[in-house]
Amino acid sequence: MSAKTAAEIRKQVERFLPKVLKPSRYLGSEWNSERKDWELTRVHMAFAFPDVYEVGMSHLGTRILYHLVNSYENFLCERVFAPWLDMEEKMREREIPLYALESYRPVKDFDVLGFTLQYEMSFSNILNMLELAGIPLRTKDRGPQHPWIIAGGPCAYNPEPLAPFVDFFMLGESEETLPELLKLIEKQKENPVAREEFLLKVTQIEGAYVPEFYEVHYQEDGRIKKIEADPRVPQTIEKAIVRDLDGAFYPTNPIVPYMEIVHDRMMLEVMRGCSRGCRFCQAGMLYRPVRERSPETLLRHAEELVKSTGYEEISLTSLSTGDYTCIQPVVRSILDKYSEDKVSVSLPSLRLDSFDVKLAEEVQKVRKSGLTFAPEAGTQRLRDVINKGVTEENLLQATESAFKAGWSTIKLYFMIGLPTETQEDLNGIVSMAKKVVELGTRMGRRNVTVTVSTSSFVPKSHTPFQWEPQEGMASLEQKQKYLREKLRDRRIKYNYHDVKTSYLEAVFAKGDRRLADVLERAVKEGCKFDGWSEHFKYETWLQSLEELGLDPHFYANRAMDYDDVLPWNHLASGVSKRYLVGEHHQALKEITTKDCRYIDCTGCGICTDRGIQIDLKG
Amino acid sequence: MSVLRVRIAYTKLEEAKYIAHLDLARVFERSIRRAGIRMAYSEGFNPHPKIAFGSALAVGVEGEREYVDIELQQDMDLKEIIGRLQEQLPSGIRLIEGRVVAQGTKALMAVLNAASYRITVPLGLPVSEERLQEGITAWLRRGQVPYTRYSKKGWVEKDIRPWIKELTGRIQGDEAVFELEVEVGNQGSVRPEEVIASLCDLENLPLDLDGLNTKRTGIYVSYEGQKFSPMEHEAIGK
Repeated sequence: MSAKTAAEIRKQVERFLPKVLKPSRYLGSEWNSERKDWELTRVHMAFAFPDVYEVGMSHLGTRILYHLVNSYENFLCERVFAPWLDMEEKMREREIPLYALESYRPVKDFDVLGFTLQYEMSFSNILNMLELAGIPLRTKDRGPQHPWIIAGGPCAYNPEPLAPFVDFFMLGESEETLPELLKLIEKQKENPVAREEFLLKVTQIEGAYVPEFYEVHYQEDGRIKKIEADPRVPQTIEKAIVRDLDGAFYPTNPIVPYMEIVHDRMMLEVMRGCSRGCRFCQAGMLYRPVRERSPETLLRHAEELVKSTGYEEISLTSLSTGDYTCIQPVVRSILDKYSEDKVSVSLPSLRLDSFDVKLAEEVQKVRKSGLTFAPEAGTQRLRDVINKGVTEENLLQATESAFKAGWSTIKLYFMIGLPTETQEDLNGIVSMAKKVVELGTRMGRRNVTVTVSTSSFVPKSHTPFQWEPQEGMASLEQKQKYLREKLRDRRIKYNYHDVKTSYLEAVFAKGDRRLADVLERAVKEGCKFDGWSEHFKYETWLQSLEELGLDPHFYANRAMDYDDVLPWNHLASGVSKRYLVGEHHQALKEITTKDCRYIDCTGCGICTDRGIQIDLKG
Repeated sequence: MSVLRVRIAYTKLEEAKYIAHLDLARVFERSIRRAGIRMAYSEGFNPHPKIAFGSALAVGVEGEREYVDIELQQDMDLKEIIGRLQEQLPSGIRLIEGRVVAQGTKALMAVLNAASYRITVPLGLPVSEERLQEGITAWLRRGQVPYTRYSKKGWVEKDIRPWIKELTGRIQGDEAVFELEVEVGNQGSVRPEEVIASLCDLENLPLDLDGLNTKRTGIYVSYEGQKFSPMEHEAIGK
């Protein structure tokens, strides 16, 4: 691609912008967007979310890091998202390289291009964006004139399929480590040292993983023999943790998009981490330990947010907001303070007890749009296996209070294909849905609607189920068909996820470095936006795997041994292998483990040796 | 409770032209909240702020003088409202003037019935001034102008001529500049780019329609052959 200046790009883009879908995705001039002077700042970072604008702008982490970097006088941070297909086509026709939203400057001109890895199905978009930017995909083909390609987020805990493309990954929470890294880059710009020497310095930052210092050896049967670390770098990379969440940077002047985005509201992050210990849940393992923010801090954030955004809704976010110890006083204070301004409160994640329904009733005084519960499994036995600490009684009580309070739409989330699942567990989903429907009808609610959604279990790294195989596609499809038939009732809606997407997600979730070639080939063949079912090209993925001689079943459907060297063996979430193995055993024995915030330490290993502990404010 | 109703004339220029009509209501609502001005809300289960616009502008079309009615639950000096709100609006939306209107004044949507546009189109091939005037005259002389539009229901043909009140044009450098005035009503209207596309097609004018740029120069209350601004007393009274 020819070198184009920001002004030239802007001029060309303006000509066709009225003709693309939702042009306000590409304006970069939204309220509270940051415009810093390129010449007056020393390190320039482009923060990339490898999906479309309205998805990326809904992500709290992206917003935190964008404003964090810009809060430093010497650093500039601009945003870039995956252009939607029509926009990409127009850009390619005119040889317009991928540019940053705020200044229209090509991302190629930045010092750092940082991707956030939220889900495996966005990997193809990362390569596509690099290609669109005119940046060589592979680390080895890039030179000092190119930006450092870095990545973080949950998928950085198994980033091996991206290893040849990314210079280094940042594991864990990077409010403290990202500025440290940018300072290092600033020094590198002033006094450049050789690439290897610079990367060695990077490895000294908490959570920084430079894949080229780790060599993977394979056995003949395809399993990993060993992961050999360069003697100059740590054997294992430990994630970075923010120790004082209450004092950590939090942006109270977030961008207010012109268009309606997926989560179009103020976000109040009440805590980080969740210690409920659901055994399938990767976030529950990765973000330990639980750290809460104090009500005083949250109320200050709320006040500043309302003033700076003008939003009409405030969402109390975390992995499990119902567990926040000061939830009631915080909700009450916000409602009291802002009801005149018609600012409402929403709680995105609720537990299955009547306490939460009361809370929901309070925050949704007028709108009874729908209440969501996630029992995850249909029988008590299977809920014990996955350590989802709720009972059918909890669910029925909660839905009863919801119906009583005026709700008539209940959504129920389940997973199918969980380890040890039997026919009885499927029947359990059916009977639960029917019981809820009958309850609602009996209680005189008209238009009772119960929406049942099932997703297919995808084993994720760093969880007690990481050794588990994913169930075969044919069998999962049969289960979906069975549920579809059994849930035929005009009051019940049944939604389910595409099995093929979940299969490929499992391949990459458990994948190793050899998948990098597959990824590159699939992207060359046009794969992108794989998370959008209408753009997912399953056949192309299969062909790519086949051509490179890799068997997707090997990754997705193989039970791994505790002794196997896992592709992420050298990356540590802080939760010990011993704990994960123990939890896996308990799962198979159908024994639950209690939440450590209520009883004794469960020995997951996150707090020991880190000078950190769970931090509750209530 | 609504205490005060103000009518404001504003521009929607530059990047603001990309804000879709539905999003514009949210942009105003949030700006007003940031400005610390208390809006009045509708009654009912799902209260909405009482903000009402004139007629919608298509995405990508600039507006030199658009109108919005806002109802407040507090009495406030008009100058202060405008000053505080202006600070919170995205660039491109400039408040031109405002006035207090009586409660019960007809909604903008109900009174605005004419709009004027300036359309600039690059010349594909050289066109003389004379040739352009001939084309416009011939086009206007047509009793009916069928135009096929793609809608949700598929391709629909309709006669666009009845909507046209006035069309003039001139050559300016390597562009043709048109001034168009159309009727706006409950039964819909005609889009400026349709008029120019039809003109080029039927009168064989070689204009580069890909580079067409539209600006709405005003919307009016047309009454007994006279044009009023909705800010004028005469129009409000009607």
